[in-house]
Amino acid sequence: MSSVRWNEREVTILELLDRVLDKGVILFGDLTISVADVDLIYVALKVLLTSVETAERMRRTATGELIAPPANPSPHRQA
Amino acid sequence: MIYVYAITDRPDSPLPAETGLGGSLLNIPYRDIAAVVSSLTTSQVPATENNLWAHETVVEGLVLDRAVLPLRFGTVFPDRVAVEASLSEHYADFTASLERVRGRVELGLRVLWKDDVGHGQEGGPSSVMSQDSASGSGRAYLLSRLEQDRRIQTWRQRGEALAAEINAPLAGLSVEHTQQVLTTHRLLLTAAYLVRREDLTAFQRQVEAVSVAYPALSFLCTGPWPPYSFVTTTLQTEERTNVNARN
Repeated sequence: MSSVRWNEREVTILELLDRVLDKGVILFGDLTISVADVDLIYVALKVLLTSVETAERMRRTATGELIAPPANPSPHRQA
Repeated sequence: MIYVYAITDRPDSPLPAETGLGGSLLNIPYRDIAAVVSSLTTSQVPATENNLWAHETVVEGLVLDRAVLPLRFGTVFPDRVAVEASLSEHYADFTASLERVRGRVELGLRVLWKDDVGHGQEGGPSSVMSQDSASGSGRAYLLSRLEQDRRIQTWRQRGEALAAEINAPLAGLSVEHTQQVLTTHRLLLTAAYLVRREDLTAFQRQVEAVSVAYPALSFLCTGPWPPYSFVTTTLQTEERTNVNARN
């Protein structure tokens, strides 16, 4: 049985945030996210990082060693 | 206002039927590249989960049949002329980046310690944090600080060696990768891999194989993603340096 968790919802949202808000090409148009907002988003990312760890720990406590079936939040992504 | 999703190498190809964040998708061509855009009635796009997915969905649709440089969320230009000017200004950078990502996708990987073995046991920082509070003398305090620093350093070196072992076979199946080690005590490795489409299955099998070899670690893998982590331009490198300096 697979011991890798593929495209799980919490992790995928975290990875989405990490990519669309922190990576990707920056063009100097009128960026709509102000610097203050970006700082807030970094804080949110840190909270999310923690929540991934917490979710992981809770799941393991609840299920022993069982691995949750992959949830696929984006219908566009098949892995 | 014009919202820009991505730069592609197909100025004449038809676009997906998605409406994205505004109206229908349009190509704004410049030579052999194009910006994929839609018109907006507002100049503000809040970073809500729905909006982020709308941006991502458009980019994912493009990745299916062309080389794509995904833009960071929230890029809005006042008009078409401004977009064309930007394409012209960065043309050389964009064509080089399109070449870099053509036929390739990105995979995200996070590796965590399953329990607290990463930091709660002997050698981890949390096991030594409490030792310096009740020291009777300045000398004892300094010695305990030295000991604590030494143990944290040992723990970090161990983590880095482990991360390198995990990374090696995956890096071998990818064209490029980025990695951060021990961002938090439990998060051993955060990595992104740029993988040739034809190597995707082999790469995913390799992740499975590595995960079996390290039962104390949890492997969370996402993707394939558009190549967000591999389109960093010179401008962005400077910006990132500033962000790091600020932290």
